[in-house]
Amino acid sequence: MTTLATNTPTKANRNTIRAVQKRELLLLLGFLVVIWAVTTALSPRFLSPANLKDILIQAAPLGFVVIGQMIVIIVRGLDLSVASIMATVAVISTTTIDSTPFIFAVGLLLGAAIGAINGYLVAFRKVTPFLATLATMIVLQGVRFAYTKGAPGGTLPDTFRWLATGDILGIPVALIALAVVAFAMHWMLERTVSGRRLKLYGDSPAAAYMTGAPTRLLVVMAFVLSGVMAAFAGLFLVGYVGIVDNWTGRGYELDSIAAAVIGGAALSGGKGSVPGVLLAALILVSLFNIVVILGLSIELQLVIKGTLIILAAAVYMKRSQN
Amino acid sequence: MSTLARATRAQPVHLVVVALIAAVFLFGMTVSDRFATPLNLANVQDQMVALAIVALAQTVVILSGGIDLSFAGALSFLCVVFAALAGDSAGSLLMAMAVVVAAGVLIGVVNGGITAHVGIHPLITTLGTSTILAGVALLITRQPTGSVPLFFEDLTYERLGVVPYGMIFVIALYLLIGFMLWRTPFGTRIFAIGDNETAAAVSGLPVKQTKIAIYALSGLLCAVAAMYMTGRFSVGDPRAGVGFDLRSITPVIVGGTLLAGGKGGVLGTALAVILLALLANVLNFMNVSSFYQWIAEGVIIIAAVSFFAGKGKS
Repeated sequence: MTTLATNTPTKANRNTIRAVQKRELLLLLGFLVVIWAVTTALSPRFLSPANLKDILIQAAPLGFVVIGQMIVIIVRGLDLSVASIMATVAVISTTTIDSTPFIFAVGLLLGAAIGAINGYLVAFRKVTPFLATLATMIVLQGVRFAYTKGAPGGTLPDTFRWLATGDILGIPVALIALAVVAFAMHWMLERTVSGRRLKLYGDSPAAAYMTGAPTRLLVVMAFVLSGVMAAFAGLFLVGYVGIVDNWTGRGYELDSIAAAVIGGAALSGGKGSVPGVLLAALILVSLFNIVVILGLSIELQLVIKGTLIILAAAVYMKRSQN
Repeated sequence: MSTLARATRAQPVHLVVVALIAAVFLFGMTVSDRFATPLNLANVQDQMVALAIVALAQTVVILSGGIDLSFAGALSFLCVVFAALAGDSAGSLLMAMAVVVAAGVLIGVVNGGITAHVGIHPLITTLGTSTILAGVALLITRQPTGSVPLFFEDLTYERLGVVPYGMIFVIALYLLIGFMLWRTPFGTRIFAIGDNETAAAVSGLPVKQTKIAIYALSGLLCAVAAMYMTGRFSVGDPRAGVGFDLRSITPVIVGGTLLAGGKGGVLGTALAVILLALLANVLNFMNVSSFYQWIAEGVIIIAAVSFFAGKGKS
């Protein structure tokens, strides 16, 4: 049992883990400040309240998705279906229901159900997360196109639009919602037994099993959370754009993986923090905005994103080797 | 085991895929009189060629326990470059071929180098390079541009009886890579690394160099696919590769190669490419919208993977 004891974090090494996480957060924050400062020097328009508010509102959907993606990555998974969940939830719930609370209730339940299917395939059928979520992604795509016959229609309720575009005392509602959800997820991951177990499972599934944790349910829970987060993101994004589209959220699967990796989540599992990935999402969205503000060609966003993914992964890899 | 079975590394799973092909074929004949005509079957083969080549590349990478998601960006980039350089003479065509092949290999070396030496998961590495290359392709041109010599375009359309030249080329490629996998030290290393990388490293195999060579081969095959696609389109489309990253994985998995590496082969991939192409063709004859075809594709992946899940690691 001595081997087990070394797997449980003692107070001392828990503090070192926190210290490392703090350093990573400062690094990300430093990077964000630098790119903001440089852009402001080149174009003062960047730092205008209107533009900053735009960046924050645009970052909100990615913020939701990346939290879910990170939780799945913590349990050694990967969720390729998030963008498909976003669109499917948005299309189905907004075209069938008119009342805003019910749109959210049905949407979130649908997201959870799809996440549960992913989790079942991975935890109980032992399908690789990559393939399970790839298959769900394709099936959902077919389902929502067949459901809408290719062209979703209908109008969105005013309350629904307000939730995604409006503000309370100058703070966007979407951002308040993200803050609440992010705080809850952060608390769950860092302060509850479930959170500890998720990370322990990512570090060593065998160790988690031996402590008596319900390992299969942990994996299902991670995918369910990812599905719910994607549902939030899809609803807020549709509300922000104002048009229901079958391709809502296209590209968010890769952007969310990018943000999770830049934010410090490792595909080998066990690592990731909510503040880290949220900062990374903000960095990505800022960079996209900077390309537009500076009048550069929009395709540069892709080049920057790809370079950043590889650089960030390389930096974390070097740090973890030292 | 018969010599043929040994030579092709045939497995029970291949019989399942062959049976499915036969079933789809018979079903296709009942759906439409035009299905089993030489013209339609030649068309089906034409539609297979590009996917067959990238799926072959993906098979080799997956056998080694890796994954290559760079096809989307790499194909787009290489198509644009090829069409920009190919001009209208044999000389410029040869030059363009050399450049595109070199670029493809270089892309693979970068993928393999970062994966092997920095230790980043190949999924992240190739996702990164794919994103960069997709961006560069669009920076070069937003609209399809460039051209290829007419005789090269014709070459991608010509047929020997009912078999397009492209298909003959694909068969040769599969035989070549199959031989490489099962009859050369390089092939043995690929299986060894895919089966257990640590064990391969401990027993003294040059794991890092082999990985770089594997991704370089993948990049090379990607360049070949790009040249074929450009010939078919007769223009360089900066979005030519969109979707090929994930599409290249489906036939590999349906063909019985394990995503974890070490088990599988090119015969399964070849059969799965045929199955998927025939199925898409039959569904088209039935006027089934692509919406339902997506559902079918997803269900096939889950069915295939669940089938193999009971047989060791998946």
